[in-house]
Amino acid sequence: MATPVIMPRQGQSVESCIITKWFKAKGDKVAVGDLLFNYETDKAAFDEESKVEGTVLAIYYVEGDDVPCLTNVCVIGNEGENIDEFNPSSDSAQAPTPEPSAQAHSASPQSADATAASAETLTSSPTSAQATSGELKISPRAKNLAQKHGVDYRKAAPSGPNGRIIEQDIRKLIDSGILVTSAASDEYLSSQKSAEGTGLGGRVRTSDLAEASVMTAEVEEVKLSNIRKVIAKAMHNSLSTMAQLTLNSSFDATDVLSYREKIKVGMDKTGVGNITINDMILYAVAKTLESHRDLNAHYFDDKMLLFKSVNLGIAVDTPRGLMVPTLFGSNSKTLNQLSTDAKALIEACQKGTISPDSLKGGTFTVTNLGALGIESFTPVINPPQTGILGVNTIEIKAKEVDGKIIHYKSIGLSLTFDHRALDGAPAAKFLKELATNLENFSAILAK
Amino acid sequence: MGYDLIVIGGGPGGYLAAERAGHAGLKTLLIEKRFIGGVCLNEGCIPSKALLYSAKIFDYARFSEKYGVTTEGAKFDHSVALERKNKVVKSLVSGVKGALKGSKVTVIDGEAKILGRGAEGFQVAVGDDVHVSERLLIATGSESIVPPIKGVPEGVKKGFVLTNREILDIEKVPEKLVIVGGGVIGLEMASYFNSVGSKVTIIEMLGNIAGATDKDIAQILMKSYQKKGIEFKLNSKVTQVKAKSVVYEAEGKSLEAPADKVLLSIGRRPVTQGFGLENIGVELEKSAIKTDRFGRTNIAGVYAAGDVNGVYMFAHTAYREAEVCVNHMIGKKDQMRYDAIPAVIYTNPEVAGVGETEETAKAKGIEFDCATLTMKYSGRYVAENEDGEGICKVLVHKTRRNVIGVHLIGSYASEMILSAGMMIELEMKVEDIKEFVFPHPTVCEVIREGIFQL
Repeated sequence: MATPVIMPRQGQSVESCIITKWFKAKGDKVAVGDLLFNYETDKAAFDEESKVEGTVLAIYYVEGDDVPCLTNVCVIGNEGENIDEFNPSSDSAQAPTPEPSAQAHSASPQSADATAASAETLTSSPTSAQATSGELKISPRAKNLAQKHGVDYRKAAPSGPNGRIIEQDIRKLIDSGILVTSAASDEYLSSQKSAEGTGLGGRVRTSDLAEASVMTAEVEEVKLSNIRKVIAKAMHNSLSTMAQLTLNSSFDATDVLSYREKIKVGMDKTGVGNITINDMILYAVAKTLESHRDLNAHYFDDKMLLFKSVNLGIAVDTPRGLMVPTLFGSNSKTLNQLSTDAKALIEACQKGTISPDSLKGGTFTVTNLGALGIESFTPVINPPQTGILGVNTIEIKAKEVDGKIIHYKSIGLSLTFDHRALDGAPAAKFLKELATNLENFSAILAK
Repeated sequence: MGYDLIVIGGGPGGYLAAERAGHAGLKTLLIEKRFIGGVCLNEGCIPSKALLYSAKIFDYARFSEKYGVTTEGAKFDHSVALERKNKVVKSLVSGVKGALKGSKVTVIDGEAKILGRGAEGFQVAVGDDVHVSERLLIATGSESIVPPIKGVPEGVKKGFVLTNREILDIEKVPEKLVIVGGGVIGLEMASYFNSVGSKVTIIEMLGNIAGATDKDIAQILMKSYQKKGIEFKLNSKVTQVKAKSVVYEAEGKSLEAPADKVLLSIGRRPVTQGFGLENIGVELEKSAIKTDRFGRTNIAGVYAAGDVNGVYMFAHTAYREAEVCVNHMIGKKDQMRYDAIPAVIYTNPEVAGVGETEETAKAKGIEFDCATLTMKYSGRYVAENEDGEGICKVLVHKTRRNVIGVHLIGSYASEMILSAGMMIELEMKVEDIKEFVFPHPTVCEVIREGIFQL
């Protein structure tokens, strides 16, 4: 019995996912647990493993396709099985088979042709769902046409769904004359270089290839990943629509540092995990935000949502780019709970297995660049939040105590807030209270 | 009101640029000190072709027994040939003038002098009038090099030593003509005067004639000329011009060639002096104006096209450079490429080549395959040429398999070289060209044969 593999729904808000890589081809044998394909949402990436054993009978979507959740992606079963009903693009799933006798020899060339044809229609049809990811998407038809005419298809303006280059785009490109000479074409199209054509009608000539290799020797063109695009849009939107400014302050880290040492020493006996400075800062921020609701809020043009619960966003640097998982209810967690939960979230982000639902709902964000030696910066708010706290590196500072100069370890804090939502004084008061709380960390633990 | 463009020099580069600029709507002024049409039209390409054609017909009349034609009493009247040449020139010059008028170009006969650059633009004086323009195009061309050899200045004064300018107008065919320099101009003039009765001697400093032409082809051309009675003195250096002879040095010996006239055709030099180029600080390199691929000089708004940039001294290069300059001025994307510029020598047999020769390809370290084949592969060539020695060479890039050079000696070579130029310009591969249909029977089929040998 053939089994369809559907595109899983990752989180309630996810409508579709992009197939990033196939590990199996049509006709391949698969066992339970074999990796079938990778897919990603705009925020995270996932693996799909086979839950059944058999042969891949059909693959309905290619790499780069944006597949609606719960749609059939491929079919696994025994060779020769009729799988027409699973084809997401055919209506035959419901329609009765017109000629019962045809079923008798379902492996006939006719039905094989039909399957092949429908698969082809999918990959080249302008209506098939595609999406932008790192790779250039072009229909095989368009690619063939481009190669035949010696045009650089990478320069085509995609008009297919989700940025896929289709035949008409290549036709346009041929008309607009972005061409490559016959002699230059193989080398040019197989290289990642993009050369300015200096030949007849702007054709790329062999001499341009040499120039391109000199000119672009140090430059690599990288297509933006979805995550990068999402970050870019969010960051630009943030800075272009809000009234952001940053206040810088610092606190005497003596107390948090010594508390951390204490925990570390007693870790085995107490069962308390490795608490980091960042965990302590998150804890103090969550507690302090309880009395500064303007900063634990979402700002909209005509209203603000003030949250009771503090859902801290934690900025995490991952190989895929910046991710901000949300630590829901941070203010009601114990330090140990908070530390454990934060670690789990960060790890999931690093692995790319984070649920998209964990990547939203934040009410305030903390970003820590201290480990990288940053002394002060201007974090960018994640809208519609009203504030973000940047944590800086540990610096040695001096202060006068009882007429004596003493040195102490200090940690810088950079608070960016939205002046539309609150004024400078309340933001400064939050920062001051946060510093005080951190300087007396043992005391707030008792609260 | 000022001009959008002042073109200095009305040769192929200048008049075509003015025409195109005028057509594109630029208010254009063309200044020419001598004749519209320049050297090409008045004392170069065109008049020499008119004369060479007369000579060719004379040759046909005398040497066609093999083809079943015997002419008795064939005579050549040099003065009629000259008259006809002048008519041809006149008709073409008036054609250019008409085209300039049609493109609304203002033409001033006179000597231009660039005064400098003011707030309004470049100031160019012609006599007492000062014209102002946003841009300048220098198309002053080139002139024959007159070397400082003993006796040359005196010979020039007496009319014994001539350049291309004077020789095209000499009234009498000299009995003995010594040509100093075996390049294109020297060879074409040798061809004409040999046909019409002169005893021609060519003295060439290098070991080969025809400059950068394919070495095998130059050799075939020389042999064919020797058969016709032209003498070649290679590796020979002229040391003195006497009243009735030219003294030259070969293999350490001083020799003398008797002459009634001497043609100096050792080369041409860009004209960059005497019209105020220095007043705006235009940069020269090896006595030519330095230009980039858009025809721009180092001074913004100043362009140069044609021989004056010293790249390829051909009228057809000038045409193209002129168009590139104007396109750059009007913001149209274009640039100069020099890989597919054909070179033709209108000798009989004709020589034509485009792209790399075996020599230049080797020098550049390009790996290539070369097919060399006799023109006898062409049925038409055999039908029309008794004992023809024409050849065709096709050079193909070893790895990319595109045509990089084609070189021909034989009839119609000048007319068929364009097809090879297009193959090179478009970087067509051998496999692409195999799909072309060549008309049969034509001489150009030999290129097709060459392609199929590669």
